[in-house]
Amino acid sequence: MKRREMLIGAATGAAGIATLAAVTQSMQALAQAAALPGGVLDRIIKEKKIRITAEVTSPPFGILDRNNQPDGSEIETARQLAKDLGVELELVQVTAPQRIPALLAGRADVAISSLSITFDRAKTVMFAPPHGALSIVIAGPKKVQIRSAADMAGKKIGLTRATLEEATVPPSAPPTAQMVFFDDIAATMQAMISGQVDAAGMSAFAAKSVSDRNPKAEIENKFTVRTAYYAPAVRPGDFDLLQFLRTWVFLNKHNGVLANIYKKYTEVALIDLPAM
Amino acid sequence: MKYVFQFGIVWDHLPQLLHGAWLTIRLSTGAFALGFVIAMLLAFLRTAGPRPLRAGIAAYVEFIRNTPFLVQLFIIYFSLPAIGLRMEAVTAALVGMSLNFSGYATEIIRSGIEAVPRSQIEAGYSLGFTRLQIFRHVIVFPALRTVYPALASQFVLLMLGSSVVAAISAEELTAITNTLQSTTFRAFEFYFVATGLYLLMTIGMRLLLHAIYWAIFERSRPAERAWSR
Repeated sequence: MKRREMLIGAATGAAGIATLAAVTQSMQALAQAAALPGGVLDRIIKEKKIRITAEVTSPPFGILDRNNQPDGSEIETARQLAKDLGVELELVQVTAPQRIPALLAGRADVAISSLSITFDRAKTVMFAPPHGALSIVIAGPKKVQIRSAADMAGKKIGLTRATLEEATVPPSAPPTAQMVFFDDIAATMQAMISGQVDAAGMSAFAAKSVSDRNPKAEIENKFTVRTAYYAPAVRPGDFDLLQFLRTWVFLNKHNGVLANIYKKYTEVALIDLPAM
Repeated sequence: MKYVFQFGIVWDHLPQLLHGAWLTIRLSTGAFALGFVIAMLLAFLRTAGPRPLRAGIAAYVEFIRNTPFLVQLFIIYFSLPAIGLRMEAVTAALVGMSLNFSGYATEIIRSGIEAVPRSQIEAGYSLGFTRLQIFRHVIVFPALRTVYPALASQFVLLMLGSSVVAAISAEELTAITNTLQSTTFRAFEFYFVATGLYLLMTIGMRLLLHAIYWAIFERSRPAERAWSR
């Protein structure tokens, strides 16, 4: 009996030590990677490869083209960054909720996936200065008189559930404005075109596309509710890469490259990006 | 992964949920009543009307039963305004549900009418009844009793199917639940409670329908019941 217990104990102990050794080894490897002289930027240049997140389910930022290849303004931005660094680009495909986890887990060096700068996110990652902007606007037919949030009083405003507009429009609207909720952006647009709502909250891109496709409806932007700025993000502590990104955003803002990418994919002119 | 359920926030919003459930009940019963009247008329004309009218009603029934309810709603809410017929979301939902229910109910009632023995109808003719009188005095009662269970099931389907009208912004139980879960991020809790409310409503309505059946077909007709056995 005693011998058997001892055997079991020894086996368990051996397994434990083996596991511990494996964990220590992988932790050492991680530590070494992090402690490379010069850090992650040096590693990128030495390996001639940068890994950047690619989210491909949110047009116009990231989509899969006809050949199932990633495309979109953020993908193009990532390509530009790799080109300016003179290294090869490896796109790491992620879903929207995975953007930050993939970065923190070390699967990607930089996240460039229309990550809006928020306090919550800034607690877990470091943001470079913004390279793009996303505005939520109130759009509506020309004949509807709305110029500011106060003018929404007594009007029916269409919104799509679980979107940035659902989070930002109701708090800014007067109490007599009636919010009408739909499940997807297509239904919200249809409600606006058919006059079931007076106006609707949506991204400036969505407003542009609905107005272009329905010239007769004379849809125009009434006012901007809120503008969110999105930026590249890096892991906390990767200051060398962050500093490179600061310089990179500055230069590409100055030479118009960022504005061209933005215009090419969104068909909307990029607004002035504030410094950070 | 561990998920911590927080039902407190659901109780805070319970009045809104109950408000939504009340609209669900009103829409379902309203559509049942309207749809039933339409279906009775159509079923009568379908079996006793002139030939072109019968064909027209058959086409209507096939259209309703072979196209998605959601698309029917979209036509009423989004497309009819183009020809100047604009309805509020709740009105559009009521109209859509009534028409949809009438399509199914017409077919159900027709089958009940055709189950009435030919000899009884001929007996009506021999008594000098008109077609309408035969329908009113000979056919309606046994026909409805035959198809009552099928109509009751269809009503429950109508009530559960009413969740679809959330898509045209009618603020019934599902729409309210969707909005609350997307703003509070407590999807599990809200959907659990909404499911429970639907279950309660369905059970309540089934009991009510049983009571109605008993009141109409059993209590007041002891002689006929004895005869039919």
